[in-house]
Amino acid sequence: MKKVFLKRIMAVLMSITMIGSLVACGNSESSSSAEKGGTAGSSEDTIKIGILFSESGSTALVEKTMTNACIMAFDEINEAGGINGKKIEYIHEDYASDPATATEKIKKLIQQDEVVATVGCYTSASRQATLTTLKDENSLLVYPTYTEGEEVHPNVIYVGCMPNQQATEFIPYLLENVGKKVFLVGSDYVFPKTCNKQARALVEMYGGEVVGEEYIPLGGTDFSTICNKIKDSGAELVYSAVIGDSNTAFFKNYTQYGLEADKVPICSIGIDESNLQAIGADYAEGHYASMPYFASLDTEKSNSFRDKYNELFDDGTVVTVLTESAYESCYLLAEALKKVEDPKDTDALIDAFAGVEFDAPQGKIKVDQENHCTWLYSRFAQIHDGKFDIIYSSEEALRPEPWPAVLYPEYEGSDFMPAWDDPSCYPQ
Amino acid sequence: MLSFISQIINGLNQSAVLLIATLGLLIIFGLMNVINMAHGEMIMVGGFCAYIVTSVWKLPFIFAIVISFLVTALFGALTEIFIIKKLYSKPTETILATYALSIVLTEIARMIWPLSQNVNMPIPGVLFIKEVAIPYYNIFVVAMAIGLLIFTIVLFKYTKFGKEIGAITQNRQMTECLGIKTSTIDTLTFAYGAGLAGLAGCILAPTIGVSYNMGSVYLTDCFLTVVVGGVQSMGGVAVSSMIMGEGRTILAGIFDETWAKIIVFLAVIVLLRFKPEGLFKKERR
Repeated sequence: MKKVFLKRIMAVLMSITMIGSLVACGNSESSSSAEKGGTAGSSEDTIKIGILFSESGSTALVEKTMTNACIMAFDEINEAGGINGKKIEYIHEDYASDPATATEKIKKLIQQDEVVATVGCYTSASRQATLTTLKDENSLLVYPTYTEGEEVHPNVIYVGCMPNQQATEFIPYLLENVGKKVFLVGSDYVFPKTCNKQARALVEMYGGEVVGEEYIPLGGTDFSTICNKIKDSGAELVYSAVIGDSNTAFFKNYTQYGLEADKVPICSIGIDESNLQAIGADYAEGHYASMPYFASLDTEKSNSFRDKYNELFDDGTVVTVLTESAYESCYLLAEALKKVEDPKDTDALIDAFAGVEFDAPQGKIKVDQENHCTWLYSRFAQIHDGKFDIIYSSEEALRPEPWPAVLYPEYEGSDFMPAWDDPSCYPQ
Repeated sequence: MLSFISQIINGLNQSAVLLIATLGLLIIFGLMNVINMAHGEMIMVGGFCAYIVTSVWKLPFIFAIVISFLVTALFGALTEIFIIKKLYSKPTETILATYALSIVLTEIARMIWPLSQNVNMPIPGVLFIKEVAIPYYNIFVVAMAIGLLIFTIVLFKYTKFGKEIGAITQNRQMTECLGIKTSTIDTLTFAYGAGLAGLAGCILAPTIGVSYNMGSVYLTDCFLTVVVGGVQSMGGVAVSSMIMGEGRTILAGIFDETWAKIIVFLAVIVLLRFKPEGLFKKERR
């Protein structure tokens, strides 16, 4: 009897997983056919570009705003006449927040839809899941998310910011204006750990002192212990790479356990506009954040970008640095495509990216001549009344350092990366 | 030393949170033998009730507590009547049905509120005893947990309703023969369990925010707490919440959060290997 029961449980669990995967497949099929954009026509008159972001699963919410931004950008490019007379036809695929599905979907985009390039992927895990396919098929991925660096792949253009662009100006500012004793916190995975490694080196370089370093499991919501440790350490500021919804509990616990923003502020490289509402204005007041772009940036470009987005997409998403980054990824790709004769010539397209410029909402940015990453601005803001008040903007875009000079002085002379044929360039 | 004391006090809060989140599951899983995969989403329903009451309608938090309990209990009653009632003899199908329900609820919540929402802290401020900081809200949570535990024990041990449930758990057919309406009692019990889950969501909301996946985080922890405590024992669940909450917080103070989690879960596995019935076994006749 017991055995039969166990078997039934197994059967149920199996069917749950199978239904799950079926649902995932079904989703993407419908969305890809429903969201084919641009003008229809034979493939000779159009340039096909893939958009690979999730519509379901754990990171769907963040990726939805990136999909929106891509659609907005490609539609604008088409309205302005397309690329050398050809319209863009974009094909959206949903990888359901699952790296294995990302592999499958990028294959589908490249082999079946024959896209010339893909804009997409959110997590590092999903990007890395596409690398082998990109190399084998010799196709191109434009990756818009901020990332931990220490990877450059010949078939990827990294438009999101590198840790050095968030930290190299932010940390000296904090040490000078806020305090010298720094406590590092983060979510427990590769991005925060790599960022904090660099932060530690910078703090020590500028004469500060790291008085503690703690990590919370991904999705964790109890920060009481970390708050206690911060208090005991005598820290004067907390440098935080806590990511996602954990930030709500972190900022609330922080005040609840008697830590005060005007004495020991949290200086975060992991919060954006989407977190502020949930944290609540009271609990976010006075803390700091560093990003290349804040939606509150008051320039003509930024205002019209933000207002147009809000007008087009009334789906509960808000403009964040990721929205802006996905938007400029599409434009950089378009600029590079304008420079090549045959859009299907991937090698020429990748070469064309070197030095490509775009007047983005955050300011004038460009792809690096050598290391496939993007020159972006460094900005920091203090949170006031539930909004980011920008207190510093770099005068021009900062050079990206995938292998930051402060940790890897040996690469400083070689565009902050190992040689392209070095196996440590990307996961093999 | 001070920070150690402070860790123990923080651990109390963690234990209380765990206990409140688990009580509802104990009733549905322990007493009714229904593996409710939608427990986390019932917590979420309570959380969103709290959000609507306090942030949209701008009513005091006390209303949120009452309304989130009532709404989730009503929702639980409907679930029991339309889904669970037909499936009591088929535990595997219940898993499927409640799992499906959890997906439906999550997706609906995500459609309406894609971003995580804020519920204002109803009792801000912090009590300092020497260097040890105790947020007032934590004191409220611990008091709430103890109150709910006592109320539930009294309800199930010393009232007619509770005794009838006990009878059903032991022998459904015999109880029915004695003229007790088992069907109504099933519905009420399930509703009470669901209501407790909703209450848990409401109490969690001010600290962790309200989002479509707020409950799923607690599902595993809740099941483990129930199993460690012994599936039918209220006192057992209280003790196991204490062990898991305090264990995790104290270990996190000594090592770090991730190792604390690993060590506590390993301990649970070892415990279940040697005491599969949990810490407190209810003798059955």
